[in-house]
Amino acid sequence: MTDLLFFTLALLSIVGAIGMISFLQPIYAALSFIITLIALAGIYALLGSSFLFAIQIIIYAGAIISLILFIIMFLNIQPKNLPKEPHKTKFILLSLITVTPFAFFLIQMIKSLPLIQSEKAEQFGTIKSVGKELFSDYVLPFEMVSILLIVSLVGAVILANKQGEDDVPA
Amino acid sequence: MFQHSLILSMILVSIGIAGIISRRNIFILYMSIELILNGINLGFVTGSAMFGKEDGNVIALLVMAIAAAEAALFFAMIVVLFRSRQTLDTHELNLLRSKEQDHA
Repeated sequence: MTDLLFFTLALLSIVGAIGMISFLQPIYAALSFIITLIALAGIYALLGSSFLFAIQIIIYAGAIISLILFIIMFLNIQPKNLPKEPHKTKFILLSLITVTPFAFFLIQMIKSLPLIQSEKAEQFGTIKSVGKELFSDYVLPFEMVSILLIVSLVGAVILANKQGEDDVPA
Repeated sequence: MFQHSLILSMILVSIGIAGIISRRNIFILYMSIELILNGINLGFVTGSAMFGKEDGNVIALLVMAIAAAEAALFFAMIVVLFRSRQTLDTHELNLLRSKEQDHA
């Protein structure tokens, strides 16, 4: 049952990803990307990380995708604003062929790894044990990420607030 | 299952790289970057589940926070660029390109 669920979710996430890179309209690409994100959340749940399952749905499928959709609708994109990509399908196929050899070698490497299930704690993946780890061994990265978030939000406000006089030259 | 989810993580990263190479729409480029980050996150979560330690989960959480910071800045820049250029084409956004190359 778990395997069936895993393969369904994996197939959904790959289909969503391929749809995401092949749609011409960015809004269809964003909607197709949601499928990938929610399927990945399901895979996190299958792997036992219940906290990351919730966070993936809240942050990615909730916040980031709705931000993308909001910006796409806010910009009021007309077909003439979209880049002309007459050879899009050909380019996508060629770039997939380009990355295939690297993917093949990585699959060989993954197959040679000794992937054995180690002993799991009782509360693995719950918010309690993730939080304990985050605030004991990973306090410094956590604080640095919080500074990074503040800096980027202030930067975003300043960038988007620029009016007229010092616009980017066309 | 660990093997399969590592392979899935690798496939997602590959599709993201292919999207970055082949597309010119700046939104699709952004979503390809997010796809790569998600593929890497899946690798971390798999490692965490395999070794029974929380480190992978914590790093995946930090990667998500960095992705959120990136989203805020990226969309601010897209809004500013779209106001002045009226295009989403990455070939038109060539402010850092030298003038000599344009005439060559």
